[in-house]
Amino acid sequence: MANPLNLPMAPRALRNLFSRPATRRYPAEVRPRFEGARGKIVFDVETCNFCTLCARRCPTLAITVSREERTWSIEHLNCIACNACVEVCAKKSLTMSKESRAVQVPGDGSDGRRPGREEWHGPAPEAAS
Amino acid sequence: MDRTAFLSRVEAYRNAGWRLALINATTVMAAEGEEEGAFELAWGFARDGRPGEGADEAAGTLELIRETVKLGEEVPSVSGFFGAAFLYENELRELFGIDVTGIEVDLKGQLYKTATRIPFSHRAVRERLEREARS
Amino acid sequence: MKRTVIPFGPQHPVLPEPLVLDLILEDERVVDAVPTIGYIHRGLEMMVEKVEYTEMGFVVERICGICSFMHGMGYCAAIESIMDVEVPERARWLRLIWAEISRIQSHLLWLGLAADAFGFENLFMQVWRMREEVLDIFEQTTGGRIIHSVNRIGGVKRDISDSELAAILARLETLGRDFGTATRVFAKDPSIAHRLGGVGVLTEEEARAVDAVGPMARASGVVMDTRLSGAHLYDRLDFEPVIETAGDCLARVLVRLREVEQSIDLIRQAIDRMPKGEGLPLDNRPRGNPQGEVFTRLEQPRGEVLYYVKANGTKFLERFRARTPTFANIPAMIKLVKGCDLADVPNIILTIDPCISCTER
Repeated sequence: MANPLNLPMAPRALRNLFSRPATRRYPAEVRPRFEGARGKIVFDVETCNFCTLCARRCPTLAITVSREERTWSIEHLNCIACNACVEVCAKKSLTMSKESRAVQVPGDGSDGRRPGREEWHGPAPEAAS
Repeated sequence: MDRTAFLSRVEAYRNAGWRLALINATTVMAAEGEEEGAFELAWGFARDGRPGEGADEAAGTLELIRETVKLGEEVPSVSGFFGAAFLYENELRELFGIDVTGIEVDLKGQLYKTATRIPFSHRAVRERLEREARS
Repeated sequence: MKRTVIPFGPQHPVLPEPLVLDLILEDERVVDAVPTIGYIHRGLEMMVEKVEYTEMGFVVERICGICSFMHGMGYCAAIESIMDVEVPERARWLRLIWAEISRIQSHLLWLGLAADAFGFENLFMQVWRMREEVLDIFEQTTGGRIIHSVNRIGGVKRDISDSELAAILARLETLGRDFGTATRVFAKDPSIAHRLGGVGVLTEEEARAVDAVGPMARASGVVMDTRLSGAHLYDRLDFEPVIETAGDCLARVLVRLREVEQSIDLIRQAIDRMPKGEGLPLDNRPRGNPQGEVFTRLEQPRGEVLYYVKANGTKFLERFRARTPTFANIPAMIKLVKGCDLADVPNIILTIDPCISCTER
């Protein structure tokens, strides 16, 4: 039977008594995310030409684009942050920010909007020159 | 498939100290002009140990026995030779509907809980493909 | 003698994942155990019928959160093998480094859970605090803590610069020293020795008879490690598999402890031997659709994982099979549980390192 007075954890336990906790007081303190962390998709409707490539490449079909109506929408809660849409966009309208997604977008849902869905309407196409 | 030849090959692997790595099945749908589909089965045997000079020649390799069985054909169990086989063979029965006879530990259809019974049977695969084509 | 049937799981405080096991007891001794798979069976292998092969990588990664990187790596390696794609060398080294970091993370998680299983919460918290460092490394290099999405068919998506690699190695070595306290506790603490020593003994013949894989088999003296076969650049590293002979729960803990140290050493060797420089190619994307079939093997933290991919020339695969190590260890677990006391069942089941998400897919 091993010696019950052999306590290898004792030094660590004593050190824990006198040191700060290793945990963070979330949500009062929020850990800043690292650069390059995959978070939320950010869309710039001014530069988009509604080519629908991003919607076709999205593996979860989170993006819906309508070329005729000039609308672009994304379901943030379906997005898996795979970065495929950012890589394929020729106009660089999409970027991946490192902030995590908010669960609710502003709005109380009474207009039938799903939480996590964001929609943009683009400007009318310029007349062909 | 030839039962005796197959079982003697399996026994040879056991006696030489190989390990059963997996028993896999693939549903092969019937091609044009054929009546029914088949299942392609593969038994994978692995040899452990460090491959090196003078040591075991086959160490670190995976060898396969492959058989194609028709729908309804009986497949003999190898659980008499390999202790881990019962799990794979119960899975074959429950997911594919392949009739494996003589399994040492028979879990009587209780191993998997799936919404569709026998999800990889030819009928279930055909129904899913038709549903996808319609939508 | 009266028999009672006690359901173990799916919810149990000691289990990391829902395992459903019906234990048949006589008094306090377990006589038989009947497993059921299907509590979290998601039918991921069936998704090849709907998801194109280029996007299947995302599905495969999400088979399990702990073993996530190696699933993605194994799938991409299988498709690359079918399509005969040559992955650039720096990408292969990066995959190896991330795989070993993933192994460290998985073993640290398991060691914390093992400590929690017999009530040693202080040790559990300390080991998981060390694990946070590893997850931070993953977030900085791949963008995600658990799901990395950094493997793609033909290579990897992101690079780690040489200076960053040196910094990561320094952090891992500090972690290794910090981890030394946990190693000492596991190896020397008398209460741990009492709880785990001599419990759940699997002899070498029994391990061979039930086809056990991974640390489960290595702790019983079977020399088995898929990395020895030399695939995925492991033939360029020098290492010996970690073997213990006692075959009890304590031996399985010691195997995983030493594998953490071994992984840090492998990462040091890899950073040393990989091609250095900026702007090296990382990706060799193939065109067209795969045709053919392949069996690929990798060493996951829990043992040997076997991928079978069959492709028929369309953009949907015909069959994808991941035979995960926990699936292979379930017969070993059932063998061990028979004949032991009910109080030892949680400890024994935890020492096979059950990853039920992987098992049930």
